[in-house]
Amino acid sequence: MADACLRLLWRDIARHRSRSALVVLAVAVGLVAAGAVLDSWALIGRATEVGFRGSLPVSITVGVDRVDAALLDDVRRLPGVAAARGRRMLTGSVQGHGAWTPAQIVLLDDFTDPSMARLQGDAGRWPPPEGAIVVERSSLELAGVAVGEPVLLRIGTGAAHALAMSGVVRDVSLAPGWMEHVVTCYATPGTMARLGVPATFDELQVRVADPRADRAVVRRIAATVAAQVARHGGRARFVDVPEPGAHVHAAQMDALLMTQGAFGLLALFVCALLVVNLFTAMLARQTREIGVLKTLGAHHLQIAGIYLGQALALGIAASLLALPLAIVIGRAYAAFRAEMLNFPLDGLPVPAWAIALQVVVGVLLPVLAALVPVCRACRLGVGAALRDIGIVADGQPLAAQRWLAMAGAGRGVLLAIGNAFRRRERMALTLLAIALGGAVHLGASNLRQAVVASMDLLFSAQHFDASLRLAEPRPIAALEAAARAEPGVANAEAWRSRRATIARDGDQVGSTVTLIGLPPTTTLMQPHVVSGRWLREDDGRALVISRALQRQQPDLVVGGDVRLALDGLIATWHIAGVVDAGPAPLAYANRSILSAEDGLATSLVIVARTPGRSALLELIHALRGSLADAGMLVAESQTPGESRPIVEDHLLMVVAFLGAMGWVMIAIGAAGLASTMSLGVIERTREIGVLRALGARDRSILGIVQVEGLTIVALAWLASIPLSVPMAVLLADAFGRIMFPLPTPWWPQMGTSLQWLAVMVPVSIAACIWPAWRAIRIPPARALSYE
Amino acid sequence: MTQHSYPAVELRRASKTYPGTQGPFTALSALDMRIERGEFVAIVGASGSGKSTLLNLLAGIDRASNGEVIVGGHALQGLSERALSAWRGRHLGIVFQFFQLMPTLTAIENVMLPMDLCDRWPAIERRERARTLLARLGVADQADKFPTALSGGQQQRVAIARALANEPLLLLADEPTGNLDSRNADALLQMLATLARDDGLTIVMVTHERGARAVATRTIALADGVVVAEPAHG
Repeated sequence: MADACLRLLWRDIARHRSRSALVVLAVAVGLVAAGAVLDSWALIGRATEVGFRGSLPVSITVGVDRVDAALLDDVRRLPGVAAARGRRMLTGSVQGHGAWTPAQIVLLDDFTDPSMARLQGDAGRWPPPEGAIVVERSSLELAGVAVGEPVLLRIGTGAAHALAMSGVVRDVSLAPGWMEHVVTCYATPGTMARLGVPATFDELQVRVADPRADRAVVRRIAATVAAQVARHGGRARFVDVPEPGAHVHAAQMDALLMTQGAFGLLALFVCALLVVNLFTAMLARQTREIGVLKTLGAHHLQIAGIYLGQALALGIAASLLALPLAIVIGRAYAAFRAEMLNFPLDGLPVPAWAIALQVVVGVLLPVLAALVPVCRACRLGVGAALRDIGIVADGQPLAAQRWLAMAGAGRGVLLAIGNAFRRRERMALTLLAIALGGAVHLGASNLRQAVVASMDLLFSAQHFDASLRLAEPRPIAALEAAARAEPGVANAEAWRSRRATIARDGDQVGSTVTLIGLPPTTTLMQPHVVSGRWLREDDGRALVISRALQRQQPDLVVGGDVRLALDGLIATWHIAGVVDAGPAPLAYANRSILSAEDGLATSLVIVARTPGRSALLELIHALRGSLADAGMLVAESQTPGESRPIVEDHLLMVVAFLGAMGWVMIAIGAAGLASTMSLGVIERTREIGVLRALGARDRSILGIVQVEGLTIVALAWLASIPLSVPMAVLLADAFGRIMFPLPTPWWPQMGTSLQWLAVMVPVSIAACIWPAWRAIRIPPARALSYE
Repeated sequence: MTQHSYPAVELRRASKTYPGTQGPFTALSALDMRIERGEFVAIVGASGSGKSTLLNLLAGIDRASNGEVIVGGHALQGLSERALSAWRGRHLGIVFQFFQLMPTLTAIENVMLPMDLCDRWPAIERRERARTLLARLGVADQADKFPTALSGGQQQRVAIARALANEPLLLLADEPTGNLDSRNADALLQMLATLARDDGLTIVMVTHERGARAVATRTIALADGVVVAEPAHG
C-alpha cells in the first residue's frame, strides 16, 4: 500500500482513538475468553498424551481368585495382549496427624515395571521399601502425613500398624484422592505379609498391544482373558474395560470444556457484532471521504484495503493484548483441571498451533466483521457518497410512538424512542449482543435453580441421618442388631453394594455398574420414580436404575432386561423402573437377592432418636466404637448435611462458570450499547444543536439519551426471554452430559427475568453516561455547524 | 486520430432526470456543449439551474439519463464504476466548495494521495512533485500541517494542488470560492486563470462569484436545465 494510503490508515485509527480502542477491547475480550479455553484444552490434550497415555494405562482389569505365574504367562501369550500383571487392592484406613481416613492399598510385584501403568516417583524413596508405604501425591494432604514420618495403617478390621511413609508417587490413572476422599498407598506384598495380610493378587491387569484399539476390540480381548482365567480353574468376578486412552474423568472434562468452548465462541460472536457496529458507524461518518477518494481515482479495492487494513491493524493489536492474558488464564485453568485429572502439567508449553490459531482468529475476526460494512461503503456510488448527509429519519412515526403520544408521553420520550429506531441495523446488532448475554444469564440461572431443585429432590429421598461404610462386609443381621442396640438409634438398615459388569452379546463384556441392595420396603430411601416403579418384596432379579446410568447406557429401558455378571456368574435382570439418584450411575436391587449367597452387608444407614448435629456426631462416634467392638470396623461415615455441600459445590462450580460467561457477555453488550449511543450522539450533533437552540436544557438532552438507551435495553430484555429457551435446553443437555440429567424448566421464572432487567437498567444508565455527557457538552453554535 | 484532436468536453443532447415524490424532475435537458482545450469556463446560474448536475455529469459522478457525455475523447456512459474511478484519477481534477481534504493527512500527503492511488508517478518522485505543486500555489510552507491548522484559502490551494497532482486534462471546480472571503476568492480565481493560460489546463468552474466572469474565458449561464446565455468574452 502506498505511502499516503498507509498514513491515511494509521491516522484514521488515531483519529477514532476511542472507537479503535473499543474494537481492540471487544476483540481482546472475546479472544481471551475463547483463547483461554483453547489453551487449556490444548495443554490438557498434550498432558493427556504425555502424562496419561505415556504411562501405558491398563486396558482390562479382571477380578479373579488368584493370579499365578502360569496364568500370567498364558495371558501374555494371548493375541492382542502386550503386558499382564497381578495386583491386589486392599481397603483400610490410615492415620497421620489427624483422624482415620479411608485408604486403599495397592500391592504390586514390581513397581518399576515399565510395561504398564507406569508410576512416577515424586518425592522420597520410590519404589516402596520393605516395611514402608508410599502415598499417592493427590491424597497426601488428606493423609495428613509427610515423607519420613510414621503413619498408622489398618487393613480391613485388623489392628493398626505403624509404618514409615517413605515417599510420594504420582499415579495418573487415579482420580485425585482429595476428590474421592480416599488415600491411595503403595506397598510390597512382603510388607503386607508382615502385617498378616495374604500377599496374593486377586486382580489380573492387562494392556492391549494396539494403543488405537477401540473399546469393542478391547472387550473381545477381555473375553479371551476371562476365558483363559476359566481354563486355569478360576472365575472372573468382574471384568472392567475402561474407555481406551481416556482418563476416568476425561468425558466430564471434555464435555465441560466443550460447553466452555461454545461460550467462548459465542463471546467472540458477540464481539464480532460489536465490531460490525463500530465499523458501520465509522464508515457512515466517512462516507463523504470515501466519495472524495473515489473522485481522486481510488478504486474499490484500494478503499477496501484502507479500511480492512485498519481492521487488520486493530486485530493485531487485540491479539497482542489478548494472547498473553489467554495463555496465563488458560494455563491456570489447565493446571486446575490437571489437578482434577491428576496429570502433571509442569513445564508443558501451550502448543504453537493453539497460539497460531488465536493469532489468526484475532487478526481475521475484525477483518471479517468489517467486511460487510466496508464492502457496502465501497459499493456506494461516488455521487451518493459525496451527497451523504448522515442520519436521516424516514418520517414515519413508530406505532409505539403513536401509542405513547396518545398516552400522554412527553415529547422528549417520543424523540428518544424514535431515535432508537433510526439506525435499525445498528440497533438490531446491539440488541442482539445484549439479548444473547441475557439469554446466557437467564439460562445459567435456570440451570442453577434446576441443580438446587435436583439436589433437594435427591436428598429428600434420603430419610436417614447418617450412613456408615464398613471396612469389610459383615452379616446383615448382626450389623442391624448391633446398631439397634445403640440407645440413640431409632432405626437402622444394612445395605449391600456390589460391583457388576454388564454382559454384552457375543463374547464382549460391558461397563461396570454399582448395585445397591436394600430392603424393598425401606422407608429410609424413597427416590423419585421417573418411570416404571420402585422395588417390590416379591421382586427377584429386578433393578431400579438411576437416570445417570440410563444416560450412560441408553439401551437400558423400563420393562427391558440386562445381563449382569456378578462374581463371574451371568444372570438376566429385569429393569423395573428409573429414579432420580443424582450424578451416580447406579442401580437399586432387592437386598435379599444381592446378598443371597453370603448374607453380608457393606454399609449401614441409621435414623437418630435425638435431632441435632452434635447429638448425631456423638451417636456416630459411639456407634463406630460399638461396631468396632463387635468386629465390624467402619471405614467412613457421612451425614446428608456433610455430603450435600460436597456434591452441590461441584455441580454449582460448573453453573457458576456459565453464569460468569453470562456476565462477560453482558459487559460486552454494555460496551456495544455505549458505542451505539456515542455514535448516535455524534451523528445527531446538529439535531442536538437545534434542540439547544430551541431551549432544551441539559436535563432534557440527558433524558433523551438515557431513554434511548433504556428503550434498547428493554427490547433486548424482551428478546432475551425467548432466546433463553434454546439456551436453557442446550445448557441442560450439556450439564446432563457433564454431570447428570436435570429436569430443567425451559422458561425462566418471572422473578429471574425481572432480576435480569433490574441488572440491565443501571448497566444501561452507566453505558449511556458518557454519550449523554458528551451530548450536553457540545456548544450549540458548533452543533449547528456540524458537518 | 490522436486524443488531442477531440475537444476537452463535448455534450450531445445530454439530459439528467431524477425520480421524485412528485414525479420525475429534469435537472438538465438535452444539453449540447463543446469546451475546447485550455478554456476556462464559468458555469453560472441560480440555485436549481442544473450547474452542479452538469459538473457531476462531467466528473462521471452521475450518469446522463439520455445523450452523451464525452470528456477527453472518453464517452463516460460506457465506462463501468471501476473504470470511471481509474479515469477520474488519471484525467480529472476536482476542487470542492468545502475543500474535502483528508483530515488525517498533512497538506503534502493530501497532494501525494492521488499519485499513490493512481500510481501515476514513481514513488520516489511523488513527494518532490507534491512540494513543487504546493510551492506553485503558494502554500509550500504549510506542507507539513494538517488541514485543521490551515485557513480556508490555504486549504483550497492545497485542494487545487491535489487536483493537479496527476496532471489532469480537465479541472472541475464546484463553487471553489464559496467558502472563502473576497480577498482569498479573488486570489484563487487569478490562480485558476493562470493555470488555464500558462499550462493550457481546461477548467470548468461552477460559481456564484461575480468576479469569475472577468477571469474565465467563457461563461455559460444555465436556467432550469438549459443554456440560457453564453456571453462572449474578449
